[in-house]
Amino acid sequence: MRGLQVSLNQTQKIRLQRALEKIDSFSSKSNPNASVTVADTIPVNFEDGVLKGHGTSELDGEVVATLCGVVERVNKLVYVRTLRARYKPEIGDIIVGRVIEVAPKRWRLEINFSQDAVLMLSSMNLPDGIQRRRTAVDELNMRSIFEENDVVCAEVRGFQHDGSLHLQARSQKYGKLERGQLLTVSPYLVKRRKQHFHHIEQYGIDLILGCNGFIWVGEHVEARDDMIVEDQVSTSEQQNATPNRYPASLEEQERTYTPLETRQNICRTANAVRVLSTLGFSINVEVIMEMVNLSSSLNLNIHEMLGAEFCVLVAEGEAERRSLKKKKG
Amino acid sequence: MLVFSCHRLVWNLEQTAGDKLEEGENGVKSSCPLCPRRHMCYNGRDKGSRSRQGMVGLSIGEQHFIQGGIAQDLRSDGRKRLTYRPISVETGNIPQANGSARVKIGATDVIASVKAELGKPSPFQPDKGKVSIYVDCSPTAAPIFEGRGGDELSAELSSALQRCLLGGKSGAGAGIDLSSLSIVEGKICWDLYIDGLVVSSDGNLLDALGAAIKAALSNTGIPKVHVAASAPDGQPEVDVSDEEFLQFDTSVVPVIVTLTKVGRHYIVDATSEEESQMSSAISVSINRQGRICGLTKRGGAGLDPSVILDMISVAKHVSEQLMNKLDSEISAAEACEEES
Repeated sequence: MRGLQVSLNQTQKIRLQRALEKIDSFSSKSNPNASVTVADTIPVNFEDGVLKGHGTSELDGEVVATLCGVVERVNKLVYVRTLRARYKPEIGDIIVGRVIEVAPKRWRLEINFSQDAVLMLSSMNLPDGIQRRRTAVDELNMRSIFEENDVVCAEVRGFQHDGSLHLQARSQKYGKLERGQLLTVSPYLVKRRKQHFHHIEQYGIDLILGCNGFIWVGEHVEARDDMIVEDQVSTSEQQNATPNRYPASLEEQERTYTPLETRQNICRTANAVRVLSTLGFSINVEVIMEMVNLSSSLNLNIHEMLGAEFCVLVAEGEAERRSLKKKKG
Repeated sequence: MLVFSCHRLVWNLEQTAGDKLEEGENGVKSSCPLCPRRHMCYNGRDKGSRSRQGMVGLSIGEQHFIQGGIAQDLRSDGRKRLTYRPISVETGNIPQANGSARVKIGATDVIASVKAELGKPSPFQPDKGKVSIYVDCSPTAAPIFEGRGGDELSAELSSALQRCLLGGKSGAGAGIDLSSLSIVEGKICWDLYIDGLVVSSDGNLLDALGAAIKAALSNTGIPKVHVAASAPDGQPEVDVSDEEFLQFDTSVVPVIVTLTKVGRHYIVDATSEEESQMSSAISVSINRQGRICGLTKRGGAGLDPSVILDMISVAKHVSEQLMNKLDSEISAAEACEEES
């Protein structure tokens, strides 16, 4: 993601420096052999017979790190895990991706990984909801489900033998994302949690934190139950047409725009994510909501959230929060 | 009703007659010249439906969201329609040049440098110096700029800047005072070579380049010359001083304001996502006295003349704030440079 250019004046620079130093001092230094830089020797007990993993190399009889990161040990395997690595998918991850190609019986999605992910037609719920074998007609109508450049939310189903990813979008909460904006942050800022879908009721917005660093902020859309739609085929046919095709004329378009209040909340949340990404803090829903509340309580213009003063306030707030957490436990 | 539907109609309002279309233009260009798309990749390779890290496409839902935001006066990052992103200016980045500046508007990052060399004035205008402006789009800004991919955009920006800052063919309406560059009339003058480099591109390149050139010119020091007596028809001897410099007078250099029309509304300082949704855009260069020094239109959609006049008046209004902001940033940057 292109970084925010935040120009700080002298006092702001000093305050930010102090807050970041305070946060550093709270970070846990559990193992003494934790972090290494390139060419650091990794302390290893040679009698055990050590397996040298990624990021290590043998030099003059010693195990030496070739990357900057944290040393991890699993039984006899010793490897260096980098902190700012490319996104590393695991089965069950919720990700947000963008369709780049519609291929025979599958869609290819870009997910900020070294390869494109594949979403098979059979891993996707059909619009009419019936479980059936996909026919040739379904294949020809793939574009009516997802087109190029659509933003899609899915789950990692597994890996192919060549390392590429397979996704599935079988549940109602997965699928096409519209009426909102997509933000890109570094993948290491989004930690794996139990919940990645957040419906913020008081603002009426959906917040989806993709593990691959794509974050979707948009208007809340109720997950439609396809079985009910089947019963009301005649009335629903008209309704089905409109969500997918945006009206052509300008007046009709204006009627379907997101209401202003929701849009303000969406923009505030998006700006909160941008600021967190610039400062390099972990992104989770509690921090985002706190920042949105902070900005509303200060009566800041939404655009001023991207300014220098708010950045420094956020850093100081984070330092406070970590010091409180440290005092508790 | 007269509708301007040429892809680029370039005016200089200080002249009485409008300029003809430049030679070599046949009007058949892509509909959005400053947003290069796949077919403008001149490397000969088709990079697929989009370039990997460069201009990603937007889904219909996202486009709708952006258009809705502009209609409701609340853009994706919370700005109003006529608000600029934060502008930061640094001067003196390139010590070997006579003047240089780096301007960042949001994520757009451009560098401008000014180099002065002795040259011979053109026979049609013996009492004026010469200025040439050239812009280069670096491949670090976008992968499509690699090789010859950025050539068309560079040529666009260079010619737009020349129109906006140098006035028409007769030299009328120039933002830069060319007579101050003359040393010996008809024999020796200063040639200014202004180079722009696009380091990172996130929309609104023309405004950023205009601001960078203005900052670079205010940072420019032209060496003082002593002209020795010479033979009546020979070249005069000039002695270029190493220590004494003349500061360039930049109070008349205009700023460029680009107004992008999306739907029914105009926005200032569009990001590259918003520029992909534009129907047309007008770039106006306005100087401190509120007079227009140049006007460029791009984009495939036609514009009614009343709309153009409306956009010009909006641009004039915006240019006052932009001019003040730029002047304060430039003086802050110069003060910063003197300290260090």
